[in-house]
Amino acid sequence: MDELRNYARELLEKEEVAAVIGYQQVTEKRTKPIVITDPAETSRLVFNEYCLNNLAVYLTKARIRSLMRTKDKTMKLAIVAKPCDVHSIVALIQENQIHRNDVHIISFNCHGVVKDFGCDFNGDNLAAKCIKCETHKPLYFDKIFGEEKQTPKAGDASLEKINELEKLNSKERFEFFKSEFDKCIKCYACRAVCPLCYCQRCITDKAIPRWIESSSHQRGNFSWNIVRAFHLSGRCTGCGECDRACPMDIPLSLINRRMAMEVKDLFSFVSGRSLETPTLVGNFDKKDSDEIFM
Amino acid sequence: MKIGVFICHCGENISRTVDCPRVAHFAEGLPGVEYSIDYKYMCSDPGQKLIKDAIREHKLDAIVVGSCSPNMHERTFRNAAVSAGINPFLVEIANLREHCSWVHDDVEAATEKAIELVRMAIEKVKRDKPLTKIRVPVTKRVLVIGGGIAGIQAALDIANAGYEVVLVEREPSIGGHMSQLSETFPTLDCSQCILTPRMVEVYQHPKIKLLTYSEVVKVEGFIGNFKATIKKKARHINEDLCSGCGLCITKCPTKKKSYNSFEENLAFRPAVYVPFPQAVPNIPVIDETVCMYYKNGKCGMCVKVCDRGAIDFEQKDTMLVADIGAIIVATGYKLYNIEKATPESKYKGYGEYGYGKYRDVIDGLQFERIASASGPTAGEIKRPSDGKEPKKIVFIQCVGSRDPSKGISYCSKICCMYTAKQAMLYKHKVHDGEAYVFYMDIRAGGKMYDEFVRRAIEEDHVKYIRGRVSKIHEENGKYIVKGEDTIAGMPVEIDADMVVLATAMIPQDNAPKLAQTIGIPYDKHGFYNEAHPKLRPVESTTAGVFLAGACQSPKDIPESVAMASATASKAIILFASDTLEREPVVAKVNEDLCAGCFYCKKVCPFGAIEVRDIKDVNGIIYKEVAYINQGVCQGCGTCTATCLSKSIELAGFNNEEIFAEIAAL
Repeated sequence: MDELRNYARELLEKEEVAAVIGYQQVTEKRTKPIVITDPAETSRLVFNEYCLNNLAVYLTKARIRSLMRTKDKTMKLAIVAKPCDVHSIVALIQENQIHRNDVHIISFNCHGVVKDFGCDFNGDNLAAKCIKCETHKPLYFDKIFGEEKQTPKAGDASLEKINELEKLNSKERFEFFKSEFDKCIKCYACRAVCPLCYCQRCITDKAIPRWIESSSHQRGNFSWNIVRAFHLSGRCTGCGECDRACPMDIPLSLINRRMAMEVKDLFSFVSGRSLETPTLVGNFDKKDSDEIFM
Repeated sequence: MKIGVFICHCGENISRTVDCPRVAHFAEGLPGVEYSIDYKYMCSDPGQKLIKDAIREHKLDAIVVGSCSPNMHERTFRNAAVSAGINPFLVEIANLREHCSWVHDDVEAATEKAIELVRMAIEKVKRDKPLTKIRVPVTKRVLVIGGGIAGIQAALDIANAGYEVVLVEREPSIGGHMSQLSETFPTLDCSQCILTPRMVEVYQHPKIKLLTYSEVVKVEGFIGNFKATIKKKARHINEDLCSGCGLCITKCPTKKKSYNSFEENLAFRPAVYVPFPQAVPNIPVIDETVCMYYKNGKCGMCVKVCDRGAIDFEQKDTMLVADIGAIIVATGYKLYNIEKATPESKYKGYGEYGYGKYRDVIDGLQFERIASASGPTAGEIKRPSDGKEPKKIVFIQCVGSRDPSKGISYCSKICCMYTAKQAMLYKHKVHDGEAYVFYMDIRAGGKMYDEFVRRAIEEDHVKYIRGRVSKIHEENGKYIVKGEDTIAGMPVEIDADMVVLATAMIPQDNAPKLAQTIGIPYDKHGFYNEAHPKLRPVESTTAGVFLAGACQSPKDIPESVAMASATASKAIILFASDTLEREPVVAKVNEDLCAGCFYCKKVCPFGAIEVRDIKDVNGIIYKEVAYINQGVCQGCGTCTATCLSKSIELAGFNNEEIFAEIAAL
């Protein structure tokens, strides 16, 4: 922990970065994000199994970006990122939201986080994304801490649910999602936590013409959730923050994960895994399957 | 807003299946519609007058015309509207012909659909915004790629009109394939004699900058404002110093080191060479792959004999950048001459004809060189193998052409004519010789063309056999040609001394690469696509890029020349004013809302989208947004569909307008 704090303090003291985005402890089993610009404050930084938030979402926020701009130059942002959060950063770099040179990635060898604050860290309480995680060591980083440790074993409940839905016919599946989307209160928490929902003005906020009805009845709920799923297809890196943020417990990452599986099957593409591979959307490859075209 | 609705019967084309008066009557009752009428021919003069009068009389703000496809008459009705004082973009066309009457036969249902189409157009026109044409400056200089007859003609026409031309030729000399030909059909005039004066004219023209042994490597920009990067390959001869005396060529010790490609590999050339005696410019090139100096650093004979000191072994490739207003692509063709199918080739060769195996089985261009006075045999018809005069010669047409099983489905168009010409030339030179032609059909459309073929048959007694040849094999110095006479219905066997294959015309090997460099589409064969097969045959779909000659499809000389002059006039039309008018149907980015993901830039097929930096008061970039170059944008709308936050709108087709149309259904 001291290593992380010292390192962050040095970055700030040497003015290599404008700010450090990291985690601070709130209670024994809960952390929250913190943006540090004062070197003295780096003593509050922590990293543990309770660092649930995907801090990559802050990289595109205007108030944080304004920290980067000094009178005469652009400074870097340092970010504490789990290996899975690095996927989001990669996707952001590929979508031109931040340049690789403008972000200083401090990462950790990761053995998983808890599914919710307050839980004990063990196989039963492992976050869904950690169960299927294949990236315990970050793919890109500027500094890495922590030792490699074994991730607790756990069953993949979300995959089981996908398989279960897969067995239903389309009408039954529609009924399932109808009942799930019925719960939506259009709070847009899923949008707020998603690192890839960085549009200045979301399509839902566009009034002329109105693409998505804003009221929380079935039609508007469906439009929103389907548009969200489509806009994230081939882009979602699977951080699962939408699931965690949803106050109505709609299994949003189920849809995202199913779409990601489709993308992987059709195009052998997984979002946020490589800075060299071009993004799926917007790049034409002659080898792409013709079957996707109607 | 006062809207006028005009329903056209299109003679009976629309009114046969659509009850036009009912559509007009229905439209009259719709909100916003001030005036509605149907008429037999809305595009006719009285029809247009009806529109103009109605606009003035009823003080209309916008009009909807229910007629044929906007491709046909949108411009007509827009012009009519403009002359009555309405912005042309406040005119909407409801396509009642192609989208309705032509594709339905039930009058009731078709009328209902026509009403819906008109209703949609009315809802759109209500939201249409007046647009003004975009003006972009024009650089009045043309880049002509390819120095064959097409490129030469285009360059001369443009230069004679007073505009600058940059003519880029890949080979050391201009002239192209025409310079290789002996005599030309149907007049039998000497190809070189009519071509070389044009070549010299190009060289001497003050408005033409000739870049031979050069290639276009990059093209950026858009109509009127291209920027072309041209690689000038190292000649290893200083062009300013060389007098073209040719002493280096005669003294070069590598006389028989490499095949002379101008002579279609029937002769050799030294390492330092000009392709042919009349070459323009008459400046040699040193071939690094053969020259002894580049092999072992020795020799330098040319340096010793050149009293001008023009030899420069250290010369490097140089890059030139030119501002260009229009591009004429005239890269020509090559002949299909693959003896055997190779795995990487899309063509299946004619191994059964022994091309490449038997030295006396040659292609049409090789025969041209043999028949040419400046060729390797000085115009005497001799076999490549032993130099004997062939007494029996077989010409085979459609080798590759019209043969989908070998990879080419099209007709190469010139072979019927040049085969007749070659057979005739042979008969003129070898009086006791026999000439046979195997043909599928004789396609001799053109002025004096059929008469020419008849002359070969009737006056020069060339024997035409309708049928295909199945195999050629060698037997005691003769080539046994086995074929079929389909008219007599019996097999034929001819023991020929020489065989000439009229092989198909195919695009140059690097045609697709050049197309990608310039940004023009090409077909599955590699020929460049014209914008419209009938009405825009010399324009590519990329504005400001024109096509001349055989790079577009097989062409003979008069067609290539005609096309070249057509492209020249297209370029000159472009240069007639100092600025260009462009349709304002282009996309525009809302910079406040753009998130700068640049998916639009990735999908734009025209490269119209650029990155624009938004800076804060201190000049520090705080945001990058997409910016659409209105000169390049073709209004396809791909970016607007791709933009996740819908921050791009296509003028004339914005989301609000389209939504209104759909909502009206």
